[in-house]
Amino acid sequence: MSFNPLAEKGIPLDDQIRDWRELGVAPVDPDATHPYTKCRIITMNAIEVESVFFGHHFSRFCTDRAVREHLAHTRYIEQQQQKVVNWLLPGTASVLETTISYEQQAVDLTAWLARHEPDPYLKQSYEFAVLEDFDHLYRYANLYEMIEHRQAEKLVDGLTEVMPGRPTAWEHRHPVDNVRDPYDKATADPRSKLHTLTLVAAEQQVMNLYMNVGPLYMEPIARQLYQEIALIEEEHVTHYESLMDPDETWWERLVLHEYNECYLYYSFMQQEPERRIKAIWELHLAMEIEHLRLAAEQMRRHDRRDPEEILPPEIPETMVFEPNKAYLRQLLDTQIDLTTLGAGYVRESHERFERMQQQIHRGEQPPSEQVIDEHRARFGREYRLQTEGEHPDPRLREPETTPA
Amino acid sequence: MQQREPAAPDDDVVEVLMQQHGVIHNLFDEVRASGAEDRQDAFSRLVRMLAVHETAEEMIVHPLARSAVPGGSGVVDDRLTEEASAKEMLSRLESLDPGAPDFLPLLDDLRLAVLTHARAEERYEFVKLRESTDAATRTRLATALKAAEAVAPTHPHPGINTPTENLVAGPVAAVVDRVRDAMRRANADAP
Ligand SMILES: [Fe+2]
Ligand SMILES: [Fe+2]
Ligand SMILES: [Fe+2]
Ligand SMILES: [Fe+2]
Ligand SMILES: [Fe+2]
Repeated sequence: MSFNPLAEKGIPLDDQIRDWRELGVAPVDPDATHPYTKCRIITMNAIEVESVFFGHHFSRFCTDRAVREHLAHTRYIEQQQQKVVNWLLPGTASVLETTISYEQQAVDLTAWLARHEPDPYLKQSYEFAVLEDFDHLYRYANLYEMIEHRQAEKLVDGLTEVMPGRPTAWEHRHPVDNVRDPYDKATADPRSKLHTLTLVAAEQQVMNLYMNVGPLYMEPIARQLYQEIALIEEEHVTHYESLMDPDETWWERLVLHEYNECYLYYSFMQQEPERRIKAIWELHLAMEIEHLRLAAEQMRRHDRRDPEEILPPEIPETMVFEPNKAYLRQLLDTQIDLTTLGAGYVRESHERFERMQQQIHRGEQPPSEQVIDEHRARFGREYRLQTEGEHPDPRLREPETTPA
Repeated sequence: MQQREPAAPDDDVVEVLMQQHGVIHNLFDEVRASGAEDRQDAFSRLVRMLAVHETAEEMIVHPLARSAVPGGSGVVDDRLTEEASAKEMLSRLESLDPGAPDFLPLLDDLRLAVLTHARAEERYEFVKLRESTDAATRTRLATALKAAEAVAPTHPHPGINTPTENLVAGPVAAVVDRVRDAMRRANADAP
């Protein structure tokens, strides 16, 4: 008996608006909360934010007042869900601590989706990008020890390793080379559509966070590092969104958004150890079931098609936050040198890549390298958390240093 | 926003204070992670570090922020209120046996109060302090702060019998006195 959100009964839309008491959630404990609980919070925030902005864009292109009213109504509910989810984050955590949780989330979310992606081209695209967020985690962890004198191990708790990925300096590609080819909506596995949508939402939220909090730092190296990595996140949003079929109708997209929310809340409900947080995932699932039912109804009416045509026959294997160390190490061993050329992947650097590198770096060290140099100058070493041994790529092992 | 003048990190009082916030947070982790037999020891080290840090802030950092930072006295009053309530929790904790059932829940309350307080200092006090003081002042205060830290080490070397070790074993009030003396001396030596 598998779970089918289309067959379930949710909470009527009119009963979904919450008052201040319900919105006033207490934050999680910054130290005692499981790192993957934070990752789930960060993921669901990204999903709700995407759902809100999708609703706004849809509305801007929509001439039917009744539809715009419906969109406004559900969008307000999605906003309240976003408030409840994101306000679980504690104010005592610094921006940098939250950033490190964001990158841990990006790494273990993308790795899990890559492992479960049926389409080889999409899988390659996730594998390609995960090595970059993996590298960001390492850069921010070094900044963290420099500024806050704490080690990122306290945050990632040994679940995710911290060491170089594809060096951030090499991630600056010509924008044209970030545009992938889309899947074909007629033949794509519904799981592929959900995975891509989840990654678009997650990367977009990371991008928005960095582009907004970066300038709030005083330390020049922090300001510069956020600026550099925010530009990579722009590449990641371009990369993932170009994978989606642009021929999907607005109604198809709405149904996919709502189904994906059901899928992820359902997934996270299964594994959430914190009772209070689990109750939120359950409540939101019951709300999303109704959003999905209403979206499906509209799709039938406006597109004259059955939503079942585009949705999985049964809920896919639940998405799990879990360590992906061996998988990531295998990617580190084989895919560090990849870059993109047009819609494809190549191992050799090419003229457009070289030119972009020259234009942005001008032969100097970018902030992502400076942060490591400054850390080494101060501590006589880098910050790394290699729980499974040496870095698989000999070029990226930590050089010998003399103590500071 | 004004960028801060580059100073060697340990020579800047704000850096040293933030470093101490990191150490305090780590010490809380140690107490939480320790078993019943090690808890007293870890807790004592936490208490000493808190005493050193808060005493130094009360003696030199807050007064400076009060005079140098625009709106500083309101900000400092808020910080002192937080410190007072943390001290109250701390003294309740000290009266408990670390193995007592309400010790860890109360420690959690103290931890969250201290973290909130530290974050508020960093966001509302230190940022402004860095903008409204010169590097030389911050260096002088950093030296005083490090001198204070040295009289009450949080990780004594085992088996070495020195006056410092006696101090480490001594009551918190003695630590506070020694910190005060060290700060006064450092201030008096200033040019
Ligand atoms: Fe939602
Ligand atoms: Fe990233
Ligand atoms: Fe990313
Ligand atoms: Fe929804
Ligand atoms: Fe403090």
